[in-house]
Amino acid sequence: MAERNVESVNKVREAVSQDLLGGRIDLLLGWEKGHYWWQSRPLFARSEADLEKLAWDSFCAVNLSRYLLEELKDHDKVGVLVKGCDARAFNRLLQDNMVRREQVILYGLPCPGMLDYNRLVEKAGGAPLEITEENGRVIIKVGSGEQEAQRDDLLLDKCKDCRYPDPAVYDQLLFSPQGEKEVTERFKTVEELEEMSAEERFGYWEKELSRCLRCYACRQACPFCSCRECFVEQENPRWQGRAYQPSENFMFHLVRAYHGTGRCIDCGECERSCPVDIPLQELNRKLIKDINELYGDYEAGLDPEQEPPLLTYRPDDPAAFSEK
Amino acid sequence: MSAALNETAGGWEPLIVSFCCNWCSYAGGDLAGTSRMSYPVNVKVIRVPCSGRMNPMFVLRAFQRGADGVLVAGCHPGDCHYTSGNYQSRRRLSAFKRLVEFAGFEPERFEVRWISSSEGDKFAEEMTSITEKIKALGPNRKMRDARWQSVTSKV
Repeated sequence: MAERNVESVNKVREAVSQDLLGGRIDLLLGWEKGHYWWQSRPLFARSEADLEKLAWDSFCAVNLSRYLLEELKDHDKVGVLVKGCDARAFNRLLQDNMVRREQVILYGLPCPGMLDYNRLVEKAGGAPLEITEENGRVIIKVGSGEQEAQRDDLLLDKCKDCRYPDPAVYDQLLFSPQGEKEVTERFKTVEELEEMSAEERFGYWEKELSRCLRCYACRQACPFCSCRECFVEQENPRWQGRAYQPSENFMFHLVRAYHGTGRCIDCGECERSCPVDIPLQELNRKLIKDINELYGDYEAGLDPEQEPPLLTYRPDDPAAFSEK
Repeated sequence: MSAALNETAGGWEPLIVSFCCNWCSYAGGDLAGTSRMSYPVNVKVIRVPCSGRMNPMFVLRAFQRGADGVLVAGCHPGDCHYTSGNYQSRRRLSAFKRLVEFAGFEPERFEVRWISSSEGDKFAEEMTSITEKIKALGPNRKMRDARWQSVTSKV
């Protein structure tokens, strides 16, 4: 990954260091390398020394916009590196009045899609030691030699069906845009599930949701989950029971997904952050699909001026039930 | 509302929870009553100010606590006492109905109907019809809270 990567990191660093060191922003939200080379975790940069740690590689999957909720409490002005999904997340927060536009400077990074470590392992047939990227191909080094693979085959699930890799909102775009991508399989799993009988579908979800630890990582990572008090912590009425039971798991997951109706930006952070691999995106995508079918195409996070479908209505709306 | 209601000495009877809007459907129920129309006792009516008041969690909680079917009834579109409550709920509940079906509930378990205050006959008909459909489907075990199930089995 060496040279091209060093070059692009330097470009990002150059762009943000002026603003950070010049005092235009108090904090920069970016990425730094984590414990392993295949992890990039959020970086909270306040100084030149912090900026040295900045990373921009194929593992910067974490959606940074969500961190604004906390960071804007202590900082007047924050800079954020935004990929396509981070930018849509920012628009989401803006629409929810959780952030103010003038408090944030966005550095746009058109995103080539992030890689999935598990896919690297699978492709390499063992723990990879290093990767090199060239023209849409990835060379994976393993102990016994090298494996080559198409970059597109190694993407994270959330990046595979990403339609908008370019930031929808930014103050400064650091690289040339990728253009809108065509996605064909976005609703494939949802459609497969719709084909099943009610009984089969219930079985499917009962099994998938039974793994839920109720750690709420999906909520913490989510840009639409910005309520100051979440229903799962509400005491009176206590909607979400603490017991480990299928019923309570359904309650959490259905309500979590439903709260994203017409608001979910389809960034897939919920599913990526899930420690037990629950296919949360399928619930979100089901709602996106239905809202699009019933009330017209709507992509959350693209345009903060456009009203979310559940905040508006038309007298001649169709319904999913009999209106006779 | 107790799950024990569902299983009586005479065999299984469905429990249907119907959320009725105060201005139309609840009044429609009143009209059904004063007109001496009958509808099944399986339906328990909960009055809400407007169908727009419906929090989808009400529906899920009803299923948890023993409902075999849930019906939300509101004013016809255009007739809302608050002008737009039912327009809002039409969108919300349509999305929600599709979601609960996606989660594996039979479509008949959760329904929405528009019943006006002059439609006592429609109120009685809809309540009868949903009760029959749920009777044909049998008891709902999906999302039933296990702690409530144990209460049922003791009765």
